[in-house]
Amino acid sequence: MKQPIQLSRRAFLATAGGAISVPYLIPGGVRAAEGKPGANERLTIAVIGVGGMGGHHLRDLKRFQRSGEVHVAAVCDVDEERLASAVKTAGAGVDPYRDYRYILERDDIDAVVIATPDHWHAVQTVHACECGKHVYVEKPACCTIEEGQAMIAAAQSNKMSVQVGSQGRSQHEAYLAHRYLANGAIGKVHTVTCFHYPSPTDDNPVPDSDPPAELDWDLWLGPLRWRPYNKRYCHGVFRWLMESGGGQIRDRGAHVMSCAMYWMNADGTAPVTIETTGTSPTKGLWDSCVNMNVTYTFKNPDWTLTWNQPGEPVPQEERTEGEPQISRPGYGAVYHGDNGTFVHWGGDGGTWAERKCREWTPPAGAIEVYESPGHKEDWFNGIKTGAKTIMNIEAAVGVADLCNLGNLSYILGRKLNWDGAQRRVIGDEAANRMLGRPQRHPYHS
Amino acid sequence: MSVSDLGRTAVAVAATGATAGAAENKAVDELIAHVRDESDTVRTDAWRNAGEVGAPAVTPLAAVMANEALEVARAAKRALWQIVRHSGRPGADVERKAVIAELIPLLADEQPGPVRREVLWMLSEIGGGESVEPIASVLSNKELREDARMALERIPGEASLDALEAALEAAPDDFKLNLAQSLRQRGVEVPGLPCVKLAPTKQTKVTPWTPADAQPETTAKG
Repeated sequence: MKQPIQLSRRAFLATAGGAISVPYLIPGGVRAAEGKPGANERLTIAVIGVGGMGGHHLRDLKRFQRSGEVHVAAVCDVDEERLASAVKTAGAGVDPYRDYRYILERDDIDAVVIATPDHWHAVQTVHACECGKHVYVEKPACCTIEEGQAMIAAAQSNKMSVQVGSQGRSQHEAYLAHRYLANGAIGKVHTVTCFHYPSPTDDNPVPDSDPPAELDWDLWLGPLRWRPYNKRYCHGVFRWLMESGGGQIRDRGAHVMSCAMYWMNADGTAPVTIETTGTSPTKGLWDSCVNMNVTYTFKNPDWTLTWNQPGEPVPQEERTEGEPQISRPGYGAVYHGDNGTFVHWGGDGGTWAERKCREWTPPAGAIEVYESPGHKEDWFNGIKTGAKTIMNIEAAVGVADLCNLGNLSYILGRKLNWDGAQRRVIGDEAANRMLGRPQRHPYHS
Repeated sequence: MSVSDLGRTAVAVAATGATAGAAENKAVDELIAHVRDESDTVRTDAWRNAGEVGAPAVTPLAAVMANEALEVARAAKRALWQIVRHSGRPGADVERKAVIAELIPLLADEQPGPVRREVLWMLSEIGGGESVEPIASVLSNKELREDARMALERIPGEASLDALEAALEAAPDDFKLNLAQSLRQRGVEVPGLPCVKLAPTKQTKVTPWTPADAQPETTAKG
């Protein structure tokens, strides 16, 4: 394995001020060699962001490492304590980094898993693709419409395989649900109503303060506008701030609505109107909706998707001993068809389909749908064969757009008429200006 | 009467002219009083419905943003944002321009830094050509120049582009790359100033794990 360089020539130039006289600091040679790893070739992978879901991914990759499919070469985090813990989990021979760009410089690394806070997803995915790395990035794909477009462009132009972590699509019962709906078991589906419990509120707000010594706050914020550190705005709880996490709709919405778009065969389509109502936290820093109702209308074919916090939760069904038990019944969706309804709970790593779907036997000539071998396995296959991943970047950006437009309608307090082809809000220039946001130097896509 | 009702009254009465000022003042006073209220619910209701109170509330709300009570200051900021976003709605050009006219003086040096920073971002959402010069004047402030740069980047049109190009000419070396980033985002080639987005700069003190780091296993006794 090539040894990592801790202070690169490019970094030296940048820090020494020599950059000013250099026309282009990023040579094309940083890109990986053309071609795909062979079918039997072991993939060398790094994990960027190792807290929360990142820790899960690291442990998961160790499982694949034991079976010889991958080699974990590096881990990265802006929190030294989390990084030290990850180094211990990763074991010998794994290099730690604070700055993910050192990883992108290494030409021995084929792919990266990105599990940083949401506001980093787009920038890091774009950079990784530009440096010839395949990407598995946590959901939601992006925080703005423009970020999503940059991700698609980077993946397509650099021919990188990107899998987004809406892993519900890869669950076995999701496959059963997809097959059930695709074969018209409840007729033509005209409405999908998602339900999810409300977002939490911050009952103990605190003032801004200095960041803890182990945290590189500048690098944590990355592309976001500068703001002082606050304990209620960092690991885990970033989820409840609009500019970073976007609330439940961008967290679980990126799962439940991912299933809806896939099963409705609606990837690549977009709603024509988005209208949101919601309630706000009554104190504290968090500003995402507590309760929320979003209605998306689709045309040609016509159907309606709604996101509801809390909506009308469906009590979980009884399952017999030995059947996979529903561990997260607080969210899911009801599909309303001409000939009946269908319910699923969860929609992420746990996706549970109603009994009648699980017991449904496809008739002769039934439509078959793709069954994913597993979300990471599907990604590995994409890397090695060039096949589209089940939650490819185009599909994932489409789902993230739903989440982001739902939040935008709430923020603006008005209905949005959406031109999905042009990705513009019709007749609303202030809304269009909010489809992207300027990024702080030098953390831009 | 709720703040929302007062806002609607202010807008409706404004059309009649004579009593407009009184109605606006009443709506603003009510809004400020509710934003400063001790009750979380009253404050939240006030800022959520502040949009229709509009431009007359901008300066008074900015003053409350500096309040020592954290939640009161936060409610004032959120109320101001509601006004900005309400005024940006389609067909509200007169209201939008009135709000911009109230926001621009809040960029002045004597205003608190957090207020100026917030106003830069507000103008980035609804500002037009009239906002460019006031924002560009903030580029000389080391604490706020990055926010001012991003605000200019976001405002469409030739005026903001010209301001960014002029700023690049005059900028100190440690800010030129920032401005170059904005210009590239706006589709301008910037020869001689490299894009540094992929250049790593920050090193960790954490070292790779080695077998020697393993804790010796303890043996249970007894």
